[in-house]
Amino acid sequence: MSETPTYIGFEEYSEHVPASIPSAVQQATSRFVSGRAARVAELPQWEELRQIGSDIRQHTIENMDVYLTRLEEKVKSAGGHVHWAETAEDANRIVLQIAKEHNVKMAVKSKSMATEEIGLNHFLEAAGIEAIETDLGEYIIQLAGTGPSHIIVPAVHLKKEEIAALFSEKLEINAPTDPIELARIAREILREKFLNAEMGISGGNFLVAETGTLVMVTNEGNGRMCTTMPNLHVAVVGIDKVIPDWESLTVFLKLLARSATGQKLSTYTQFITGPRRTEGEFGPKEFHLVLLDNGRSKILKDPVGRDVLKCIRCGACANVCPVYKNVGGFAYGSFISGPIGAILSPQMLGTQTARELPYASTLCGACADVCPVKIPIPTILLHLRRRVAQGDEFAPPTASVPIRLTASLASFSLAQNWLYRFGTRLLPLLMSIFKRGDWIPSAPYPLSRWTKARPLPSFTAGFRQWWKMRSAKRKEASQ
Amino acid sequence: MTNPVIENVRRSLGRTAQISSPQGTPLSLRPAIHEPRLPESLDSEIERFLGEVKKLSGVGQKLSPSEIDFALKTLVEEQNIHKATVWETPHLRQLGITEILNSLGVELVSPNANKHEMALCDLGITEADYLLPETGTLAMHSSAEKPRAVSLLPRVHLAIVRPEMLRADMHQIFAEAKDGNYLVFITGPSRTADIELTVTLGVHGPKNLYVWMMEG
Repeated sequence: MSETPTYIGFEEYSEHVPASIPSAVQQATSRFVSGRAARVAELPQWEELRQIGSDIRQHTIENMDVYLTRLEEKVKSAGGHVHWAETAEDANRIVLQIAKEHNVKMAVKSKSMATEEIGLNHFLEAAGIEAIETDLGEYIIQLAGTGPSHIIVPAVHLKKEEIAALFSEKLEINAPTDPIELARIAREILREKFLNAEMGISGGNFLVAETGTLVMVTNEGNGRMCTTMPNLHVAVVGIDKVIPDWESLTVFLKLLARSATGQKLSTYTQFITGPRRTEGEFGPKEFHLVLLDNGRSKILKDPVGRDVLKCIRCGACANVCPVYKNVGGFAYGSFISGPIGAILSPQMLGTQTARELPYASTLCGACADVCPVKIPIPTILLHLRRRVAQGDEFAPPTASVPIRLTASLASFSLAQNWLYRFGTRLLPLLMSIFKRGDWIPSAPYPLSRWTKARPLPSFTAGFRQWWKMRSAKRKEASQ
Repeated sequence: MTNPVIENVRRSLGRTAQISSPQGTPLSLRPAIHEPRLPESLDSEIERFLGEVKKLSGVGQKLSPSEIDFALKTLVEEQNIHKATVWETPHLRQLGITEILNSLGVELVSPNANKHEMALCDLGITEADYLLPETGTLAMHSSAEKPRAVSLLPRVHLAIVRPEMLRADMHQIFAEAKDGNYLVFITGPSRTADIELTVTLGVHGPKNLYVWMMEG
């Protein structure tokens, strides 16, 4: 999952979806959909919240340089370190460098899309540093060596029997098939890791520029463990996660859990501003924030496509998507799946690498209806289809010379009454040559391009004439 | 001082000069929801808060100081508590929590003990700094007297709280708390649904959450 793909074969994959995927994925999505609906119904100001959320994201995108500058200043004044990573390789190298400086042998990780995006685990492991996923679902798929099938429940495609077999094999134990027992086993094993790891690695849900605060939302408590137990905390976060202030944060916290899991708030929300301030207190002595660009600044250039950067990673769009529900997460070939993946991957990896993704949609619009920050996903899908077809430069579309000639000829003749009338007389005459019964089965080029696929209905009369005939027929019928 | 990432952002946004204050689409109304939640009567706020804690599979109840002895005894027996760690705050001291635990034969571990020792505790007792009734949330800062690990490492978490900690909405909490170094919202016990969507409590954090609202 971690290496940058060179081509995403969505179509080929979706023809061979394993039978277990749709049913498992649909079980998860239907639960999240009904949970979300219940929470939304409780909140009369939901639509207003979405609009405000969207507006704040719009404002932030338009002023990303200002807020990033402010964020850096505030994190530093809170005693944290800030690193800027232009590419995935830069980010990996920065994290490794920090790990080496602190003689780290083992790192515990909380779930993070950014570190999946850059393939950090593989990079650290190649350098001899063990990086352990600690979110239960992520831990399972790390053991299995596969990618996530759903953004919130990454291992939903695996049955408990398969997980038990996996635990038995990889952990050399005799694992039962009870989900609660399996979770208990993972708790014990990972508890050891939390207490002994020298470094905690996390992502982040939001970065509050006002005070330089990292906001992390989790349910299991592994996020708290990773940022409390080791003396060193490194957060890798995309630059698009910056928000202006705490007042904005209230809006996103109200939108996020309701949209994602149908909770009012996730179990643990942490607000971390720099390292711990007093000696003898729990919490890391050192805090590093790695701000990841990796193509995001390039996305900003496209005034239509950049709305994707509003995303707060709730996964609601995937839960309602008829395409996603039938193919699951793997088909999208990247760290992010569903409708949001279909508009993000082409912009990050290139419209040629991910050229099939903008077409992985029926354009039904359900995603846009549930998006908590109102990203116009279908509009962006169409925009990206154009970029796939015409290249990434956004010149206004131009028609070919024959089309333009035909169009100007048509606009001239349609404007001249006599010419139009003449045309309506001429056309049936011309057509009679090719007519077979009521249809024209084949016509000369360029009309042959049409008749190759289906016959043309023959033209019987001009509109005025046809109208007269029609009225006469009706009169006859009524008499 | 500048860096390549911010330079790239500026170029993409078509900036001709460096700016230090936001432009374009204005930020929404402050407060961002122009009708933030208003508090109801104190009693109904308390009821709502405890009700939400229960919905989250926590145990929420009202308690008077004279009932603490009995409640702690019941908790220690029910949850089979041998070791506990307690925040060192004036209110918990005043309630005599550590003395009661001692008398129940529970071994006490300093909240500033090292993490390996803390991890052996069955019970962690904290207060809270703020409470959110709408979501049943406990909000707490972290310091040497109020370490964040007490609400995280033990398998049972008990929060002893008071009505004056209630805030109507997140706005109020953030206004008071944003300059701190660490804040955590705790909304129910640790949970996951990662294996076949079966809800499992206590996957990494506490499995059981008790919230006692002190009255009088």
